[in-house]
Amino acid sequence: MHFKLALKLFLRDLKGGELTILIGALVIAVSTVTTISLFVDRLEQALFRESATFIAADAAIYAPNPIDEAWIKKANSLGLDDAKTISFLSMVFSSRSQLVSVKAVGADYPLRGQLSVTATPFESGSPVGKGPKKGEVWVESRLISALDILRGDSVEIGLASFEVAQILSSEPDRAVGFESAAGPRVMMNISDVASTGVVKPGSRVTYRYLVSGDGNALEEFERWVRPKLAQSERWISIEDGAEGVGYALKRAESFLLLGALLGVVLAGLSIALAAQRYALRHFDHVAILKTLGTTVRGIDSIFMIIIFALCLIGGFLGVLVGFLAQATIAGILDPLMPVELPAPSFHGIVLGLVTGFICLFSFAFPPLLKLRAIEPVRVFRRDFSGTTVSGLLTYAFSGFGILGLMYWYSENIELTLFLFSGAIIASMVLFFVAYLLLQSGQLMGMGAGSAWRLALSGIQRRGRNISLQILVFGLAIMLLLILFLVRTALISEWQASLPKDAPNHFVLNVAQIDVDPMNNLFEENNVRAEPLFSMTRGRVIAINGEPIVVKDRLGVEESAKSKRGARGPRFSSNRNLTWAQYLPNGNRVIDGLWWDLNYSGPPLVSIENSMAERGGVKVGDTLDFKIQDQIFSAQVASIRSVAWDSMQPNFYFIFSPGTIGQFSSTYMTSFFLEKKNKSFLNTLLRYYPTITLIEIDAVIEQITSIIKKVTLAIELVLILILVSGAFVLLASIQASMDERFRQSAILRALGASQRLILFSLFIEFAFMGVLAGIVATLGAEITVFFLESQVFELDYSPHLVLWVLGPLSGLFIIGCLGLWATRKVVVTAPSNALRQ
Amino acid sequence: MRAIGLHKVVSTANGELEILKGIDLEIKASESVALVGPSGSGKTTLLSLLAGLDTASKGKIYLGSNELTAMNEELRAIVRGRVVGFVFQSFQLLGSLSALENVMLPLELKNSPEAKLVALQLMDKVGLTHRCAHYPNKLSGGEQQRVAIARAFASAPKVLFADEPTGNLDTATGRVIIDLLFELNREFGTTLILVTHDKKLAQRCDREINIDSGELIEMET
Repeated sequence: MHFKLALKLFLRDLKGGELTILIGALVIAVSTVTTISLFVDRLEQALFRESATFIAADAAIYAPNPIDEAWIKKANSLGLDDAKTISFLSMVFSSRSQLVSVKAVGADYPLRGQLSVTATPFESGSPVGKGPKKGEVWVESRLISALDILRGDSVEIGLASFEVAQILSSEPDRAVGFESAAGPRVMMNISDVASTGVVKPGSRVTYRYLVSGDGNALEEFERWVRPKLAQSERWISIEDGAEGVGYALKRAESFLLLGALLGVVLAGLSIALAAQRYALRHFDHVAILKTLGTTVRGIDSIFMIIIFALCLIGGFLGVLVGFLAQATIAGILDPLMPVELPAPSFHGIVLGLVTGFICLFSFAFPPLLKLRAIEPVRVFRRDFSGTTVSGLLTYAFSGFGILGLMYWYSENIELTLFLFSGAIIASMVLFFVAYLLLQSGQLMGMGAGSAWRLALSGIQRRGRNISLQILVFGLAIMLLLILFLVRTALISEWQASLPKDAPNHFVLNVAQIDVDPMNNLFEENNVRAEPLFSMTRGRVIAINGEPIVVKDRLGVEESAKSKRGARGPRFSSNRNLTWAQYLPNGNRVIDGLWWDLNYSGPPLVSIENSMAERGGVKVGDTLDFKIQDQIFSAQVASIRSVAWDSMQPNFYFIFSPGTIGQFSSTYMTSFFLEKKNKSFLNTLLRYYPTITLIEIDAVIEQITSIIKKVTLAIELVLILILVSGAFVLLASIQASMDERFRQSAILRALGASQRLILFSLFIEFAFMGVLAGIVATLGAEITVFFLESQVFELDYSPHLVLWVLGPLSGLFIIGCLGLWATRKVVVTAPSNALRQ
Repeated sequence: MRAIGLHKVVSTANGELEILKGIDLEIKASESVALVGPSGSGKTTLLSLLAGLDTASKGKIYLGSNELTAMNEELRAIVRGRVVGFVFQSFQLLGSLSALENVMLPLELKNSPEAKLVALQLMDKVGLTHRCAHYPNKLSGGEQQRVAIARAFASAPKVLFADEPTGNLDTATGRVIIDLLFELNREFGTTLILVTHDKKLAQRCDREINIDSGELIEMET
């Protein structure tokens, strides 16, 4: 080991600026990944906590029967916190009576989120720690008006009498599954349920078992309990509870990770270029060292130590910069976040460091590998590079590094392979296109003025190298364009999916006879409401005559194994069924056809695509439903995609008009109400005291503000990536510096003016910039098409303006950056350059 | 040092080119030998083969009891490090090390604890004590070659190979360098094998070996 010598060479190279670009690129790689992963991690944790309030827990089991004691024991043994609730419908009596949705809760409820109560009906409440004490009930505002009672009055439920102790203004899991919203809420203590005598064997009751705690314990509990769940029991995770927020943020996360990945590829490119130059400049060193008796192993150890030192410095600086950048982003976003951002985890730092190591080894190692193959005889003949390391091996090294990183980030082998093979094909095509463009450029440039001829002859002479450089420039610009395009599409999609007047109130439990009068009421008060949809509970029991149980069991077993699969809706659970004449807003038929307006044939059903996928259902299949104890068949006419985050009544199953009319049903709708018109809610409840009203304006506001913040985060990440891009360009220009120095020195020695050389340099870079811009635009269009349609599920449209913007930005960015980076070429004395 | 039936063939665009065509020679310990001949005659190739920097196509080379031609690059490197020193036409100093560090280099590669001490003495011998901290690009050609000579003797080599040591220097500086080279050579009792175009330089050697078109055509003493 030549530790001292290696360190000396390293420090000297560091001082002499030989390693600046290399370290810079490494710092960028590490800091980009650290910033993004630390931030995404914090964001994820925060949103996890936030989303948990939607189900009042981190996860829950919903069951029609009391929860198995063995499950509770298991959860307790894993150290999970738990709470139980029991929900059922009952009549409540005072001087009047009202059907209510009773929820009995224990002292530990809620595990996440808060209950809030108010003294005056319809006022916003203040949070309280625990639910009702034994012997008291808390009721929703609308029950106060429906029963015409006051706080402190007593009401009867079943055999027991309770004091109305508080007016309940909000509960965290009020909106989970609309089945819970069948009437105004009455909340009581769980120990009072028995005294009411309402819950008997066979009653329609939902038992909820809420758990929260450490993620690993939760996962273990889920793995353990899932296979034990009966058909009628459901495991509810946070994703099921907060679809609206979830969708938007999952995409944002994908984007940020894509950003990190592109950042790493960019940084990898600059590392490779910088290492290439570093290696080239050390060919002579190695030849001399070998002449002086250094063995190949000795050379290896010297450069391994140098790489290691690079890793340490680059890694440390990268983590530091990443941590600070992340803290800055979080600092900007923190006041806007709905919940406090938790402290960053160590994971992001490890991710950043490991990325740095992998990046350096896979990108810098191959060029440095060439050094060990340098023959000592090079001391006599400089042209004798003696590099016997195969190019394929070199590329394979970088390829595997990138592939590994991509998979590590995305945890999605399909996406990884798709992006990776796409990138390789794109690079080859782009190289070819660059070469062709270069050829045509040569023809165009013939006979031009002298600076032009100088520039073009420079380009001609290094045809293959220049093509490579254009490819690198092109790739860098392409990656930036891709990121920019996807970001723009993502943000505009979000803005479009949550317009200012998105419905922010849901009305459920509307009786059939109230449908028309309620529509009139909406109209009179200028309230824009969606159509009223009928809602009938029912479930699928057979597909094409084959009972569903077997299929679903398999599905359940499968999903218990794979985390991802577990998120799909269960095919055979009870669902809200509806019928519709028109395809509802936010729905898109992706297979089959929507029925005609006046369709009156045999029953048809349209099914949501994730549900169809889960059940393996295709257009033309016949589904048997069990609705209110009757079996009912319908043929699948279409499969729909549904914008779940559109804040409208959304359904997995929609029937053709008149199909399920014979079953008793209630109706639901959603409408938009401005804050200043909130008093309309009192009017609505006065007319229809039995309806259930869910106010989600606060949630929407929250989603909108989260999206705004995430957009800002994305923008900040884009800036980071831009810096990486600039580094690639600089590294690429640096890589050709030695030759430029020599050429310029010779030209100046022969009497060429500085202006001539500078102008020819500008032309050369600008020309390469334009070509790179064209190449980048082409690549970006193709990639964005696939990314938008496959990964982000957005609608693609070509970006014509890009075809002007791409080449123009290439011209200016590369032209100016190139000129700036090579300005020294004309300042350095020719003798110096020639001597070097 | 002995070479027996040495051939060197390289592939070129126009087919195979035989640079050395069966060279036999013997050089005694402490002898100084000049390899002379026109450009392209194969002098430098012969030098690089004898020094173990390149591999022969056919034939054997013995350096003392070591058969260089039977060794791989790894072993040849070890032999070079132990018994061989070099002085090149283009100096071949490491630009990233100072003059003193360049002289220390061969000893440091052997992990010698006296590297600095020996290097300082040699820098004194070549008259460059005041230039120890300078980097090669700040030294004149003559100074660079003096550093290279100091470096060559740092490991007290048994054989010193010099390739056109004055080729890049003016006559006066060249003379100083040659004097220095021979002085140190005498002092260290080193075998000196040098390639040169310089008649005067060749004449100062114990023996001249003339090479033309890859063949040894005459030997003079």
